[in-house]
Amino acid sequence: MILDDLKAQFGDEIESADEVGRELRVRVRAASLVAMCRLCRSRGYSYLSDITAVDTGSDMRVVYRLVSLQDGGHVVISVGVPRAGGSVPSVTSVFRGANWPEREVYDLFGVRFQGHPDLRRILLTDDWQGYPMLKAGPGQPK
Amino acid sequence: MGPQHPSTHGVLRLKLTLDGEVIVACDPVIGYLHRGMEKIGENRTYAQFIPYTDRIDYLSSASNNEAFVLAVERLAGIEVPERAQYLRVILLELNRIASHLVFVATFANDLAATTAFLYAFREREVIMDLFEMWTGARLTQSWIRIGGVGSDIPGGFESKAREFCRMLGPRLDEYDALLTGNRIFRVRTEGIGMLPPEEAIDYGCSGPTLRGSGIAFDLRRAEPYEVYGKLGFEVITDTACDCMGRYRVRMQEMRQSVRIIEQCLDQLPAGQVQAKVSRALRPPAGEAYGRVESPRGEFGCYVVSDGGTMPLRVRVRAPSFYHMAVLPEMLRGWKVGDVIAILGSIDIVLGEIDR
Repeated sequence: MILDDLKAQFGDEIESADEVGRELRVRVRAASLVAMCRLCRSRGYSYLSDITAVDTGSDMRVVYRLVSLQDGGHVVISVGVPRAGGSVPSVTSVFRGANWPEREVYDLFGVRFQGHPDLRRILLTDDWQGYPMLKAGPGQPK
Repeated sequence: MGPQHPSTHGVLRLKLTLDGEVIVACDPVIGYLHRGMEKIGENRTYAQFIPYTDRIDYLSSASNNEAFVLAVERLAGIEVPERAQYLRVILLELNRIASHLVFVATFANDLAATTAFLYAFREREVIMDLFEMWTGARLTQSWIRIGGVGSDIPGGFESKAREFCRMLGPRLDEYDALLTGNRIFRVRTEGIGMLPPEEAIDYGCSGPTLRGSGIAFDLRRAEPYEVYGKLGFEVITDTACDCMGRYRVRMQEMRQSVRIIEQCLDQLPAGQVQAKVSRALRPPAGEAYGRVESPRGEFGCYVVSDGGTMPLRVRVRAPSFYHMAVLPEMLRGWKVGDVIAILGSIDIVLGEIDR
């Protein structure tokens, strides 16, 4: 079971872990993110479905969804990140496909990914000011 | 190349670095169609966001509706009547055929086979008429609603749909005779734009792009939603890993979609098509992910609720976005003329890349 492997390897680095159906939701400290992705990948979770961020207005997290192409299980890894100009390690060394979604999270939320080979805006123009997906930005009533 | 190049199917710019005619590097410039869909989702009620989802991947609007609605139904714990589930599958598979027909048409057209374009659009027109008859709209139907579908199928729909199913197989045989075996078409697609299976997985490829590299992964089989678990169909793969392989996968998938639609029409149970859902829907705080096998691959909606009438966050995971990211790898070493074939073979929709 992947959860036991993760607990054995990362122990206190795991802030919380819940199993919801076929989904394992793990919240981990940023320092262990890359190692955890690498372990999941070696256990068959080789398909990086998506990387995104969620800003609640008071705190923010980056969310990674890894899927096993063998049994269809999901591991959803969350990492807390400071809302203004925070950074997390890039997982491009584990999944080459992380390049673009990390750029998108940077572009829209302002999260910096340490070790990313090419961190620049992707959807918005290069001279865009600010990060529109943050809560309390322009045009945001909540 | 671009942003107004006719074979980029939308507004896309590819910065190509060339050595003579050979591509050394490619940097896709995207975002021309960025409309802030995810941000809009945070400022609309759950039901209000459905028509926006149609416009993300406008060639398969039902898949977009479905992914979003699945996530909302999981969040709110809504059960969908069985008849509505069958009707959704019919709509989804008709959408898949329509989208794959556009692929065949534009892919052939880009490679200068204009006749095939006209053939495929002739068949697609029948599907558009079926949509219009049922939903009133031809392209952006918004017919998959929270808890069901917009309406039951009208009288006469079933016989027309069956007629289409009988007709499509022989028409696909015509395409095979006209296009698939055509020497020019084969030279332009066979062995061109290789995507090895390891690279496809590494880049998060899905759908026919992944299956054209020999990986049998299809969400209708891996994580069945609605009534897909009760229906017989094959997951089509092709081990060629080239443009032709991806083309063949889509051609065969249309035949499988016909099988699925016919089974749905045979098994269609009586009953309601819409569950009771509150107009001011407030799903409990939490998160859910709805993912469907769209014509292009894994289309997903990650919806986070804080218990209010509007989502806290709507994330749209679009397959074309990931396929566009692998394009530079696929193009390296090929000639400028091959860009058209390779780009065409991953069947992108800029609307979902840019959102």
